[in-house]
Amino acid sequence: MNHCLWLIRREFWENRAIWITPLVVLGALLLLLLGGKVQFGPIGGMDNGTPLGAIPADQQQQLLLLVYAGISLMMFLVMGVVAFFYALDSLYSDRRDRSVLFWKSLPLSDADTVFAKFAVGAGVIPLVSFAGAVLAQLLVAAGGSIRLALAGGSAGILWQPGVLGSATGLGLLWTITAMLWYAPVVAYLMLASAWARRGPFLWAVLPPLAVAILERVLLRSEHAGDFVSSRIFGLYRLLGNRDEDVSVTVNGDDVIVNGEEVRAGVARLTDMDPLGALLDFYTSPSLWLGVVAAGLMLGAAIWLRRYRDTD
Amino acid sequence: MSELVVARDLSKSYGATRALDQVSFRIGAGRIVGLIGPNGAGKTTALKALLGLTRFDGELAVLGLDPWRQRHRLMQDVCFIADVAVLPRWIRVRQLIDFVAGTHPRFRREICLQFLARTDVKPGSRIRELSKGMVTQVHLALVMAIDARLLVLDEPTLGLDILMRKYFYDTLLNEYFDQQRTILVTTHQVEEVEHILTDLLFIDHGRIVLDASMDAVQQEYAQVAVRPEQAAAARALGPLSERQGLGRVHMLFRGAAPADLEPLGEVGLPSVADLFVAVIQGARA
Repeated sequence: MNHCLWLIRREFWENRAIWITPLVVLGALLLLLLGGKVQFGPIGGMDNGTPLGAIPADQQQQLLLLVYAGISLMMFLVMGVVAFFYALDSLYSDRRDRSVLFWKSLPLSDADTVFAKFAVGAGVIPLVSFAGAVLAQLLVAAGGSIRLALAGGSAGILWQPGVLGSATGLGLLWTITAMLWYAPVVAYLMLASAWARRGPFLWAVLPPLAVAILERVLLRSEHAGDFVSSRIFGLYRLLGNRDEDVSVTVNGDDVIVNGEEVRAGVARLTDMDPLGALLDFYTSPSLWLGVVAAGLMLGAAIWLRRYRDTD
Repeated sequence: MSELVVARDLSKSYGATRALDQVSFRIGAGRIVGLIGPNGAGKTTALKALLGLTRFDGELAVLGLDPWRQRHRLMQDVCFIADVAVLPRWIRVRQLIDFVAGTHPRFRREICLQFLARTDVKPGSRIRELSKGMVTQVHLALVMAIDARLLVLDEPTLGLDILMRKYFYDTLLNEYFDQQRTILVTTHQVEEVEHILTDLLFIDHGRIVLDASMDAVQQEYAQVAVRPEQAAAARALGPLSERQGLGRVHMLFRGAAPADLEPLGEVGLPSVADLFVAVIQGARA
């Protein structure tokens, strides 16, 4: 167990993007807030006239929750890219620079090494993203408060414990769901990483692409493409209704949701049920089949880690 | 248990090439063994088998363990430096020491730090910022601080300048080696290790062609700097090899009586390099 902690620590040393990236995102967010260049949905629109304050309290909270969720989503998307490249490089970079022989000279099993890297890719990076998302929410609340106060409004509206609490709780559930949902993706990338003698990116991307193209040409169907895209984007589709995109824009004093002014638009937004949609995932077989597939691919990655190059 | 390594009928093929062909040898505790052979002779394959990095046919016990099945347990008692370049380039020296201290039960940080304090290596430096010689010093400091029973060195001084190579072996011999520890080393620069070796293992085409202690070698073989006028007489004694020197012909004899050799010229101990050439040529003939 102690070994695993050291192995995880090593990943942080080697892959500084894991903790630098959220700081960069937070820094960019802070600059944008200070510069006032960006309107964060209804929060930005509150500078003058505060349409948010004009709508009923429960809808107000729902709308704020969505703003906070949107900010979190941005953090998760950026960290998703970090996790992608982390997993792709995880079992390849030390074979490329031949330091793999040094790591293998220490009394650590290949299974521990692979598990630690998987734990970072599928567990630690989502948790770091979650922490970054919570900080981003607080940053936006703080920035919004300053601007509200400057505009003579009440900042308290952004700090409702119910809203921040729900946003955090929802974020945590999202994080845990994402760990399970993306476990097979991380394991697949690690498998490509353990397999590739060079070019792990191509080894990861070309096989599914080739299958999808062949299927399209030969069978004129797109099941393979759908399978991959539902695994990659399925979780994000939840937050919008599956059938329609949600857009929150600000036009002068008005907040416009999906082309409708805020009062009507909020009513439609409150119909959305991200909590319910997340919980639905736990009853879907594809979540659990994915977890099983992740286990199998990890086993294969451990096997390759033992045999590849040194044997 | 006085024998650290017992190999019996060790074989390994890569496709049609037999890298190891029914090799058997033993390595006793407290020895410094040179595993010496031409390129492609099977040295690295033999070391990989010992370190649990490759599968093999035949029997092999290292410290009583099966290296392939029990590699990570074996690595508590076995250290190896495969090549000086293998330390990860991104890591800081301090992190490296922390990591090894955290994962290796036999690592003693203070020994490592003492050793590094005598070098120019700064703990905050990354490996990629260090010169090749400094990287070797770091690796050596790590290895010397691990109380291992068997140390395996595969071309450890490749690419180093002559001062660093001398420093490497001097440090190893004076500060690391004691009668309990065992070292197995492969190198092409035989002349640099011959004075520290206690045993020789020559390997060629996947087979062991010589397995002897240095003492036995020095009793059995003799090198004579033969005066030119004695050359014919010397050749009559059947030298294993001859090499033209400055005004002398250096001949290597096996099992010849000293009384027969002394009239021919100055009798000396054979160099490992000459012995190696003679034995390999003899085995191939």
